[in-house]
Amino acid sequence: MAAEELRILTRHLGAPGVTGLPGYEAVGGYRSLRRALGMTPEAITAEVKASGLRGRGGAAFPTATKWGFLPQDVFPRYLCVNADESEPGCFKDRVLLEELPHQLLEGTLIAAVALQASHAFLYVRGEYRAPRELLDRCVAEAYRAGYAGQGVAGSRFGCELVVHGGAGAYICGEETALLDSLEGLRGQPRLKPPFPAVRGLYGQPTVVNNVETLSNLPYIIEHGGAAYAALGTEASPGTRLFCVSGHVERPGTFEVPMGHTTFRDLIALAGGVRTGHVLKAMQPGGGSMQVLGPEHLDLALDFKAVADAGSSLGAGALVVMDETTCMVDVSMRLVDFYHHESCGKCVPCREGTYFESRLMHRLEAGLASADELLTLADICEHMEGRCFCPLGDTATWFVMSAYRRFADEFRAHCGAGCCPVRAAAEAAA
Amino acid sequence: MSAAPSPPPELVTLTVDGRAVSVPAGTLVWDACEKAGVFVPVYCAHKKMDPVAVCRMCLIEVGTMPKLQPACATVVQAGMEVRTATDRVQRFRQGNMEFLLLNHPLDCPVCDRGGECDLQDFAQRYGPPRSRTAITGKVHFDKARPLSDRIMLDQERCILCWRCVRYCDEITGDRAIVLQERAVHTVVDTFEGRPLTGPFQGNLPEVCPVGALTHTAYRFRSRPWDLQRTPSVCPGCSYGCTVGIDSRDNAVVRFVSQDNPDVDDSWLCDRGRYGFPELNRQDRVLTAELSLEGPVRAVGALEAVGAAARALAGVLERHDPDQVACLGTPQMTNEEAFCLQWLGRDVIGTPHLDHQLEPWPDLAPDEFRLAIRELEDCDTVVVLGERPEAATPVLTLRLYKAERKRGRQVLRIAADADPTELAGRVRDRGRVGVVAHEADRDRARAVATALAAANGSVHRLTLTEGMNGRGCKDLGLLPGLGPGYRRLDRAGMHGRAILAAAAEGRLRALVVVGPNPEMEQDPAYEAAIARVPLVVALTPVRGLLSRHAQALLPGRTMAEKQGTVTSSEGRVQRIRVALQPRIGAPPPELRLLVELGRSLGGTWESAPLATPAFDVICDAVPAYRGTRGGLRAAWPGTGGAA
Amino acid sequence: MAEAAGPPAAATPLLSAATRERIRTACARYPAARSAALPALWAAQDQLGHVPPEAMAEVAAELGIGAAEVEAVATFYAMYFRRPPGRHFIQVCTNVSCALRGAEGLLRHLEERLGIPDGGTTLDGAFTLESTVECLGACGGAPALQVDRYSHEDCTPDRVDRLLERLRAEPGPTGAPR
Ligand SMILES: Cc1cc2nc3c(=O)[nH]c(=O)nc-3n(C[C@H](O)[C@H](O)[C@H](O)COP(=O)(O)O)c2cc1C
Ligand code: SF4
Ligand code: FES
Repeated sequence: MAAEELRILTRHLGAPGVTGLPGYEAVGGYRSLRRALGMTPEAITAEVKASGLRGRGGAAFPTATKWGFLPQDVFPRYLCVNADESEPGCFKDRVLLEELPHQLLEGTLIAAVALQASHAFLYVRGEYRAPRELLDRCVAEAYRAGYAGQGVAGSRFGCELVVHGGAGAYICGEETALLDSLEGLRGQPRLKPPFPAVRGLYGQPTVVNNVETLSNLPYIIEHGGAAYAALGTEASPGTRLFCVSGHVERPGTFEVPMGHTTFRDLIALAGGVRTGHVLKAMQPGGGSMQVLGPEHLDLALDFKAVADAGSSLGAGALVVMDETTCMVDVSMRLVDFYHHESCGKCVPCREGTYFESRLMHRLEAGLASADELLTLADICEHMEGRCFCPLGDTATWFVMSAYRRFADEFRAHCGAGCCPVRAAAEAAA
Repeated sequence: MSAAPSPPPELVTLTVDGRAVSVPAGTLVWDACEKAGVFVPVYCAHKKMDPVAVCRMCLIEVGTMPKLQPACATVVQAGMEVRTATDRVQRFRQGNMEFLLLNHPLDCPVCDRGGECDLQDFAQRYGPPRSRTAITGKVHFDKARPLSDRIMLDQERCILCWRCVRYCDEITGDRAIVLQERAVHTVVDTFEGRPLTGPFQGNLPEVCPVGALTHTAYRFRSRPWDLQRTPSVCPGCSYGCTVGIDSRDNAVVRFVSQDNPDVDDSWLCDRGRYGFPELNRQDRVLTAELSLEGPVRAVGALEAVGAAARALAGVLERHDPDQVACLGTPQMTNEEAFCLQWLGRDVIGTPHLDHQLEPWPDLAPDEFRLAIRELEDCDTVVVLGERPEAATPVLTLRLYKAERKRGRQVLRIAADADPTELAGRVRDRGRVGVVAHEADRDRARAVATALAAANGSVHRLTLTEGMNGRGCKDLGLLPGLGPGYRRLDRAGMHGRAILAAAAEGRLRALVVVGPNPEMEQDPAYEAAIARVPLVVALTPVRGLLSRHAQALLPGRTMAEKQGTVTSSEGRVQRIRVALQPRIGAPPPELRLLVELGRSLGGTWESAPLATPAFDVICDAVPAYRGTRGGLRAAWPGTGGAA
Repeated sequence: MAEAAGPPAAATPLLSAATRERIRTACARYPAARSAALPALWAAQDQLGHVPPEAMAEVAAELGIGAAEVEAVATFYAMYFRRPPGRHFIQVCTNVSCALRGAEGLLRHLEERLGIPDGGTTLDGAFTLESTVECLGACGGAPALQVDRYSHEDCTPDRVDRLLERLRAEPGPTGAPR
């Protein structure tokens, strides 16, 4: 079967003027919001439950269940839209922000109705300056059209939309760090419990949802949760955006039904591994996740199947690496990223990522000894599961999975004085 | 105020390394471990601060949880199985110590905290046997940079436990020290490195578990094992903070705080903490000096007492006892104050005695009723003017705690504010505390009365001047009020009146115990004592008093004697000998006072030592019975000992 | 309670009336004013090109918090500059997806063209060049770079050269609001 996209979330992508309000309304935009305003919050949540929608921010937590954790009768409540997308290899939220901003705002408002939230804060990563400015314009349009502020679409429900620009900190994607950042503090994760649903922004009940998660809501309300659930498989319902990058012919974002599509399909959608080369490794889920190999090509994009293979769909990315890739180099880059982005709050993450990074640079340059390779593994063991938040764990996942899978390649770097993979490539050229 | 008895907290039983332990629900695993006698290493956790769980040092195994859990931030649950000594925990600790030492400068040989550093201690106990990193690869930061004239910061030694940052946030509220930068470059600092100005900086080195924050005054002074620590009471004011006096070579090198949750809550103010050089003063009165007839000559202390007694007896033979007065000082111990009032009232027979300048005509039992700790239980605390916090700075921290941690209302009003308008500003009806300086007693009474009309229970705390101003009052070193505020038939002159009488030449003799900074700063003081023909003075330091005394007796500083002092809230606490007197040094002040009285024919029933003297006090002032463990005196009608 | 000494109040404030207005508008949008710390620092940086300590102190005064608290925040986030960068700030993504598609070559090319190493600023102050490990979220158009916070994707040496030409002619950072 030829790989095919299934455009649900992106069904209006490219429609004329769809980034503006009139264009979006022309394709039926904000009808779902009006419908939601006529439903009870419980009914909206029930539809979302029926859809089987799971969070697209990385942890894949069932959305309706998360909403259900809010304590009864505690107000005000807040909704935060996580548009901090900073996972290496991920750029799907950016597509939704740049191409379908009003769909996101509509989804956000639907969730706000379901949660009875007084404010929805859209936390956009600092690097997304242009998308943020577009969002600012869309929010202004929404206010002018009466979709936001007091009396949303003529109802008695009111919700303020606030676009909040980050300023360059990956950790602010972690939901509690995002809350601190929103409160005007250093974006560092909070101690849990209490969880945000109970005590979140300003100590009030708060839900944090990803951009893609919320962008699904207009469809779910329009067509019903059951219709959405029917799109994927029972365990992995719906469609999902995947960002394919690296050694493929046409990198990009593709929407596919979950469960029915395989990694092979996804790579095919991206035009296949670049001509003349063969697949060496792939990293699904973004920079945090473990490496997979060619033998996993026919694995379905299904939460469980990928978990069983020792990795995760994470935030919906796929980085494709061909045979020219040095796994030590890739590991080093990811380790550097986590080292740079560690918030510095806890010891194992702050010091561990620094230690890792130093060793990886020595290894990549062919200067490390075999003992240092053992030290690396040891450090990772002392980090994983011991840090304050998952950032420290994920700083070990790729490098350790690569080390296990490509142990020879790692060892060949020890004492080599240079990168043997690059040396071989240069010799061949 | 006796707080309403709260229902006994529900107990939860768990096991720590197999030992069962029961603790109140809501307790942290760390505290439960302590209760079970199991030591868990911590850096970031601090008893007075909220958990942050950033150092990870306390990770332990809990039940079947797959991940190690922070003992400092995990709440106990019934049946929880805590394991702190498993291989996994041990291995982790070793790994975490390696991380902590990775970028640490390892400059222990020149670090002031050497010997009392948790990093050293835990490295020894849990750390890896060898380093796997080159010392050349470390991240470098500022070393030995003054954060103020009191505090040095060494960012390289900092392990980023956040305690100093939390101290500035949770304890003082000035938020002067913050985290800056990110990842391995994170440091603590002030805004642009500008100086700290707060009055509570000296606590910073104490909360810092390593040598990153140190006292300028203690730099390169000593190693802790060369110090001798004596538990005592800070002489800086009447708040009664407990301190450890650390001394070496017969000099005080620093004060350290001791946690007394009822009083200081483990904090000291800088004025108190850094006031210790006063105890090392060189201009001391070390021997007795007589100039009764002819030029000054040094004599033995007891010989001088005899001569002074003879001179006083001579005055009393020729003049009415009314022409003699006694002046004490709030720096005296209770035993000394009681003895001085005995000497003046019972032996000499004069009604003119005081320890301060201003009159203290009466006592309303409720003036002292509110305890420091109970401030936290008041729904609203009204503070009159700036004098209470200026006199007893640590009070500020208690008020902030009541505000921040207990959500209480703290209302600071001008001392002369109109009491009738106040009722509307009190947030909730309920328990109200009124805090005032003794100089504003009358206003405080008016405020309390006005508030009592609108609110059920109003209680007062009065802050007295001087370390033992309260004890001097309790024990009757006042004109017109005897020990235990017994009203006397004959009213005498208060301090200022005594000085005025002296200046007018109406006094024949004066017995003065010094130093009394309040009086000595008064412009009338010197002229007054200079006109008295016979001044018998007992003081440890040279100054106005020693210059004008005809019989000068050597006194001791509070670091050289023992006895008890009573804080503003009525808590009776012991001071102890921190600096041992040299062989042949003069006897303690109490003994000199007793001998002076005896030489004049008085009867002092017990040995002239602090402990038996305290028994004499308890007989005279029953409220002092049962205060020995550092408790508050139990005045009739004021709610009993607490 | 006394605070760590703040800076002496500047005779003339650094922040313009327009910037202050932006900050006040931002404060009003949140349930608590201090939430506007990030937008306020952005406003300051948009005006000044960077955020010097005096500006932090002025921001603090607007938000009603301590200057130290603002510095704590400002130094946490990578995109606030403490010192003025070149007129144009070029950031080359060297994270995995870009690296797989030639980011290192792109970086070398820029170093050569601008005559400065990674992290340097050209003598005329026109450009600051920096590689970043932070993924720019432009992996679909790798290799990517960002100029003054706007992305440029599928960067070939030719396209980069043309971009530099254009930027040289531009007087201010393209990120500043026009
Ligand atoms: C280190 C770290 C970074 C994260 N970054 C993001 C992010 O950039 N965007 C996002 O949506 N979620 C991110 N998450 C996940 C969020 O914490 C949170 O689970 C998510 O926003 C919830 O939304 P969802 O339920 O809709 O997926 C991150 C989590 C961690 C631990
Ligand atoms: S200076 Fe001391 S108290 Fe402050 S964070 Fe560093 S180690 Fe902790
Ligand atoms: S003491 Fe528990 S994490 Fe620091």
